[in-house]
Amino acid sequence: MNCSSEDLKAYFLGELSSRDKAPVEDHVRACHSCREELERLKLTRTALLALEEEEVPRRISFVSDKVFEPRWYETIWRSGPAMGFASAVILAAAILAHAFTVQGFERPAAAPVTTTVDTAQIEQRIEREVSARLDAAEAKQSAEFAKVLDATEKRFETRRQADLATVQQAAKYYEMKMSRWEVALNDARAGQ
Amino acid sequence: MIFREVEDRDLIAKARRGNVDAYNVLVSRWEKRVFNYLLRLVGHREDALDLSQDVFLKAYQNLKKLEDPAKFPGWLFRIAHNEAYSLLRRNRPEGELAVEPKSGESTGRMFPIELSLAVQGALSRLSDDQREAVLLKVYQGFKFEEMAEILACPVSTVKSRLYTALDLLKQTLAPVKMGGAE
Repeated sequence: MNCSSEDLKAYFLGELSSRDKAPVEDHVRACHSCREELERLKLTRTALLALEEEEVPRRISFVSDKVFEPRWYETIWRSGPAMGFASAVILAAAILAHAFTVQGFERPAAAPVTTTVDTAQIEQRIEREVSARLDAAEAKQSAEFAKVLDATEKRFETRRQADLATVQQAAKYYEMKMSRWEVALNDARAGQ
Repeated sequence: MIFREVEDRDLIAKARRGNVDAYNVLVSRWEKRVFNYLLRLVGHREDALDLSQDVFLKAYQNLKKLEDPAKFPGWLFRIAHNEAYSLLRRNRPEGELAVEPKSGESTGRMFPIELSLAVQGALSRLSDDQREAVLLKVYQGFKFEEMAEILACPVSTVKSRLYTALDLLKQTLAPVKMGGAE
């Protein structure tokens, strides 16, 4: 291997693979110039590292700021367990809703006997109820009709009596007039 | 190391859900490295601190875009790189060299403070790209592929910048001894 400044520097900086290191190490052992060059590089690094790091004059620190904090939905979205739980809840709700929906359609077919018995009883009850209500309504209507009829008959009877009295008075009046005309006629005939 | 990576990943996940406390813990783990990277890149303490705050704010705002939490370090330094270069472009016209260091070249044995000044001087004489390559490799320990992602350039470019930088640093920090050596 010939002297190679690049290989020597790469070796010095720890950038060579273990396979590439060996030839460089062999060469440095045999080459005085490269060995001296390597020593100077090490001395340079030692000098550079003698420069101590300075402490930061003021600690860098951040306070919680609403601008930098994620929104509530971002927090939920990034939270794996929370998202998993929310998904499970939504899935369970969907399953329950589906189950109830399906049962609702199947219910008429599942209880036909019960429905028949109930319908017959309900019909009977309805009939009884309707009959009772009808009877009551008819009775009430009949009573009211009888009352109205009675009142009307009384009113007509009173009117008939009044008309009869008027006719009788008129008849008496005409009868009296006739009597007077007959007397006058007789007097006239007697005067002739 | 693996345990730490898992912890960071957990913190990132919590921060993504809006947990600011978790993010603050994450910041506390990385702020020193990011601050020093920016400090050595822009060379100004207040700027480095302001940039660090911007980096962590942008990281928080874009945390949802980070596809692989294991790539958080490279992703974070990519943001830091962008922020630093935005500042460098504003402050310095295109192509202008970095500010020259105050210290001169080092010779012989140095005291720690002298060595620090010499290193700072040597680093500041590098171009921004070269210095950043050294910072990412030597101080932050990124691999070439990671550096290429952070810097948005090919691995060959990363190598070129880094090798050139090492040659320049070597001249300053490990000069050839006169009269032969060893």
